Amino acid sequence: MVNPIYIFVIALGGAFLIGPADRLGKQASVWLTTLILALMTWIAGSWFFAISGGAESQQIFTAGLRPPVSINLFMGYKEALILFLSNAAGLLGVFALRKRFNELPAYAMMLYVAMLAGVNGIVMTRDLFNLFVFIEINSIATYALIALEPSRKALSAGFKYMIAGGIASILFLLGTVYIYRLSGTLNIDQLSGMNIALLGKAGWLAIFMLLMSILIELKPFPANGWALDVYQSAHGGVLALISSANAGAMFYALYKLMPVIGDGFLNLIAVVGLVTFFFSNLLGTRQFNFKRLLGYSSVGQIGLMMGVYALMTRLGYDEGLILIITGAIFINHFLAKAGLFWLSETIEGENLSDWSAIRERPEKLFGFGALLIALAGFPPFPTFWAKWNLVLRLMDSGSYVALVAILLGSLFEIFMLLRWFGLALKIDTAKQAEDNHGLEIPARLFMLALVVVGLRASCYFIHGNFVIDTIALPSCVPVMAPLVVGAFLYLVDWLPMKMKAGLTIVLTGIYFYFVLPAIQPLPMLFAAIFALGGMLITFASMNREINSRGFYPLLIMMITSLINLTISESTLEFFTAWEFMTLSSYLLLIRGKNAGEHALRYVMFSMGAAFLIMSGFAVMYSTTGVTDFYSLLLGRYGFSWGFVLVGLGMLIKMGGIGFHVWLPGAYAEAEDDISTFFSAILSKAAVYGLMLVALIYTINYHGGFDFRNVLGWLGVLTAVFGALMAVFQEDIKRLLAYSSMSQLGYIVLALAMADHLGWVTALYITVLHVMFKGMLFLAVAGIVQATGTHLMYRMGGLIKKMPLSFISVLIAIIAVSGVPPLAGFGAKWMLYTSLIQKGWYLQAGVAFFSSAIAFLYLFRLIHSMFLGQLKYENREVKEASPWLIAPQFVLLMAIMAVSTFPSLLLKPLSAMLPESIPGTIVWQGGTMLSSLGYWNGTLVMWVTMGVFGLVLLWLILWLRNVKKVGQFNIVYSAEKPMLPETTHYAYNFFPFYQKALGGLVKPRATSFWNGVTEWTASTAGVIRQLYTGNAQTYAMQIFLYIIVLYLVFGVGL
Amino acid sequence: MSHVLILIGNALLTLFVVMNWGLIMGGMVRKIVGRVHGRYGPPIWQPYIDIIKTLGKRTSVIHGVMFFLGPVFRLAGGIGTLMFIPVLFHSSVFANFSFSGDLLLVMYFIFFGQLGMALGAGESGHPYSAMAVGRGLAQMTAFEVPFALSVISLAIQYKTLSVTGIVAAQQGGLLHWTLFTNPVATITAIIAMLGMNMHSPFDIVLAPQEIPIGPPTEFQSSFLGLLQTNRAIFTGAKLVLFMNLYLGGSSIGNGGFAGYAMAIITMMAKTFGLYMISVFVGVAYPRFRTEQSIRFFLGVPTVLGILAILIFWIW
Repeated sequence: MVNPIYIFVIALGGAFLIGPADRLGKQASVWLTTLILALMTWIAGSWFFAISGGAESQQIFTAGLRPPVSINLFMGYKEALILFLSNAAGLLGVFALRKRFNELPAYAMMLYVAMLAGVNGIVMTRDLFNLFVFIEINSIATYALIALEPSRKALSAGFKYMIAGGIASILFLLGTVYIYRLSGTLNIDQLSGMNIALLGKAGWLAIFMLLMSILIELKPFPANGWALDVYQSAHGGVLALISSANAGAMFYALYKLMPVIGDGFLNLIAVVGLVTFFFSNLLGTRQFNFKRLLGYSSVGQIGLMMGVYALMTRLGYDEGLILIITGAIFINHFLAKAGLFWLSETIEGENLSDWSAIRERPEKLFGFGALLIALAGFPPFPTFWAKWNLVLRLMDSGSYVALVAILLGSLFEIFMLLRWFGLALKIDTAKQAEDNHGLEIPARLFMLALVVVGLRASCYFIHGNFVIDTIALPSCVPVMAPLVVGAFLYLVDWLPMKMKAGLTIVLTGIYFYFVLPAIQPLPMLFAAIFALGGMLITFASMNREINSRGFYPLLIMMITSLINLTISESTLEFFTAWEFMTLSSYLLLIRGKNAGEHALRYVMFSMGAAFLIMSGFAVMYSTTGVTDFYSLLLGRYGFSWGFVLVGLGMLIKMGGIGFHVWLPGAYAEAEDDISTFFSAILSKAAVYGLMLVALIYTINYHGGFDFRNVLGWLGVLTAVFGALMAVFQEDIKRLLAYSSMSQLGYIVLALAMADHLGWVTALYITVLHVMFKGMLFLAVAGIVQATGTHLMYRMGGLIKKMPLSFISVLIAIIAVSGVPPLAGFGAKWMLYTSLIQKGWYLQAGVAFFSSAIAFLYLFRLIHSMFLGQLKYENREVKEASPWLIAPQFVLLMAIMAVSTFPSLLLKPLSAMLPESIPGTIVWQGGTMLSSLGYWNGTLVMWVTMGVFGLVLLWLILWLRNVKKVGQFNIVYSAEKPMLPETTHYAYNFFPFYQKALGGLVKPRATSFWNGVTEWTASTAGVIRQLYTGNAQTYAMQIFLYIIVLYLVFGVGL
Repeated sequence: MSHVLILIGNALLTLFVVMNWGLIMGGMVRKIVGRVHGRYGPPIWQPYIDIIKTLGKRTSVIHGVMFFLGPVFRLAGGIGTLMFIPVLFHSSVFANFSFSGDLLLVMYFIFFGQLGMALGAGESGHPYSAMAVGRGLAQMTAFEVPFALSVISLAIQYKTLSVTGIVAAQQGGLLHWTLFTNPVATITAIIAMLGMNMHSPFDIVLAPQEIPIGPPTEFQSSFLGLLQTNRAIFTGAKLVLFMNLYLGGSSIGNGGFAGYAMAIITMMAKTFGLYMISVFVGVAYPRFRTEQSIRFFLGVPTVLGILAILIFWIW
């Protein structure tokens, strides 16, 4: 192995040669720089691989003497990892900066190499003063590199950096001087454990100054205005290194000095870090300049690492765990941020919306999206695993304030990153990004590295075993299946659309078959809904005329992640599948033409829900100590707030009352087949989650305040308000969206009863909802395609043009409304019976009202679309494509079968419930008996059919001279109607209802959430005014910041 | 096979009795309303004449398949509702298919005919039809609330939702009727019934002045005949249901011809009495606008309904 000292030899020696080489031509000097960095990377890399392979860490002594007389360096696993990453980033950065280097004088490259040499020194040195020297080398090179950009802004940013760096240097030196005075050594290893901070006021102050110096370099909020200005104005290639290598090195310096600094400062560091994380992300939400936004994110991530490290150390967690968590956040940040900064140079302009230039370039968009998603903390990227463990530990130790700060900060971060993604996808632009492989290939390499690291991390984290290389990869395959199949379809995305759809169906089938044996009965029901429903809708998607690039990879990712929910054995597996589902559904949703804003709202509510779910699981872990569902289901652990948190998350995801504001927009603006998927299939994920919680809660409930009462009321209010809002919609998809909300409300209500009949009802409605909402949304998809509008009053009279769709909608609405003899009645019968049995009389009354309101919107729906007057522009409309009709008729036949023989479905549903919920339903032949009444669906069907058939037969036999008349041949106040538009009664269908009850459905929830958004934005706007852009102010802020910290943490000395 | 034939025979007998009683009651109501208005009014058998006339029309105009099926749905709905209600207590002849479902089935089956009819009327393309259906549905959502609350109160009181069970619990004298054991629920339900029967003040659905006769505007000839027949059957069925729930039903006692005759007379008397409430209120009160009737039903009657539940709940 090459002695790491050669890194410096090569860097410094090489840098001197760059000048002479430049005389030979730019190419020569650029290649020399490349070579220097390649050698540095190679040395660090060889150490990294050697040490991970079991080699010893190494001390390197310089100048032939032992410390403290001479300086020593240290190369261990952590050092090697950071340096390998940093030098690799530096090497790739040369390619990224190649164009810029060609334009600038040769000393730009020298500075670049010096900056990296500084990084290597900061990481390796074990001497306090030497550390200072390397920090200075690094800083000075960085100022200069920043200021090399030919703009006044860059110059002033470099200057501000210098001022801040100067303050930090002074403090560092003063601290070092005092430490030397008190201890007589500058060697970090010798200083460790001396507890200098405890050596009186001078000792404390010495350490305080040293710490402040490093903290300032780590850019804490609010003393970081200078850093943000740097991020805004420097070249992306330089920023990539500032935010990754420089920040990483400084963080490592802090880590390395922790034994010197001592545990007394952990509180301070934790507060500084978490405050920085929270506020950076908060302020980032107001940022539209993308480099500055990335700056906020960088500052925030470093803050998070500091905060987490200090907090977890203070809480006494094992250092290995702490390092894995901070390490995962670090690597994630390092790779993603460097990649994004490189990509940022391919974009002209500085606004987030300028990224729409890459919209038409799928491979660029993919790289950009993957890096953003990694930063946002989705699986499989490392931060996801880190955050899960972090939340588990923080909850366990009761650090609620820190937890809330981290989760809220993460939400802000997701908002700013995904809004950016949305703007890039949805803003129209004429610009097209040019290819720049020098910038894109490094970014793509880092993206791949992130995936690899994430996948490796997943194995360790899922199995709760942090010892590297003991877990075989195959055991993680099911968890990562969504990614694997998604990636496979992405690779074959060039195939014709119908082949991809076929492949999706086949793969879903195979996967379902593969996981089938492992599933319990209740999850099996949901697995079947997800798999079969997914296949049906994939089939329907073949009606698409476009090639739909990127659609099927996401679709299969969503379907498999849904299936994975049902096979999850532990809360982490469940949550991973959940996040894959959230991610893929968000990406599918944003494909909708006008979906940008709605997709953002969807993902924000989904992530809010996800964080609640994660916190809930963490509470369950801290109260029970287990994370696997079997233990949770078997053990009687007692009540835990975890149920409430997870349940609340599920309710948000279902669009429960108060949290429903994301739902109509998401359902309405998604592509039509995706709307179907959202309503019929995806919503069942939350139902499944809620059932899981309800089951565990029921088992663990032993008296006291029972949340199921609250849940029941939430359910029934969701049902009634969903129905009321559906009544007033003009947009057919919004109407159906609110209808879904209402139906899910019934499920929650039934589930909340937690008795056998309630459970069967909830399951029964769930299955029916899949069928009838599948039919309705698919029928609507066909109609929207045919008429080109979502607005019902612009349709009308389509029954003659689209009779098959009409039949499908007719059967579906009869089933939804609960009119016998179709299966919907069974749901109503069981619901009211169980409610009355349970003694929930008022809920039963409200549920009855809600189901009566359903008649209003259902009639409106079928009338406005199919009945009434046909519009002239729709005269040429044809029946929907067979790809859409066929699935509807499959579902129709299923509904008819269940309607005629309800026991076909009800008996298995009843049987799949666990023994802890004793059965109360009695069957007498085809009659279902409850303690209150009875119902025989088969008989009702035959009687109805018989009576209907006889009357029809009589009428047909009786009538002889039947004359069919054309449009407008109606008795119309002695006048012939002129236009379908003025004759079709469809717009504002229920004005009287609006007058009577419209006041109930004022958009209060929407106003509330808009208010929350508004207030957050305003707060961020006010705080942001701290950043004046004035170097003097910034310097003042740094001083004040230090003084405030001193006053807060130094009092009592 | 003979079992099925007997069932069909019984059904036809019930249908015959209820339909004729419904038609005669309709005639009486028209007479009474005429007298109140200061007219002689049509003869009592006028509904029969109307039906015979409409069925005898030589041509029928249709607007499409759903239009054709609308009246079929409506009549099947009316007959079906009747089939699921035990008309006379203790009588297997008049119990028909009431063993296929309880009160909840009857309450929901009422919608079967209404929905089909609404769709048929919609296909005519006449704006008045759709407008009237909208009004009718809106009003229905409102009066169903007090009715449902009243039914829930009965379910608490009698611990059953079986109509036969509820009638059985009321046997043994006048004071055992729900009217006396649960007066609040009865009053609530009767107010709801005013809405169901669509007499003034709740007759905006048919609004003869502004939207001539509402949903059936476009229906003529035999289609109208079916609707008129249904009106008699459906009204009869609903009144029988109310009689069963609130007025002790009508029992055939020990059976035999006398028992049946007595039961049918009791049934006629009770349903007539119930119907007269609608008629009296109808001739005395002006019509509500739709939103007014919605607010009305969701006001005092709903509070009464909740009260009816609370009384039995807390007891």
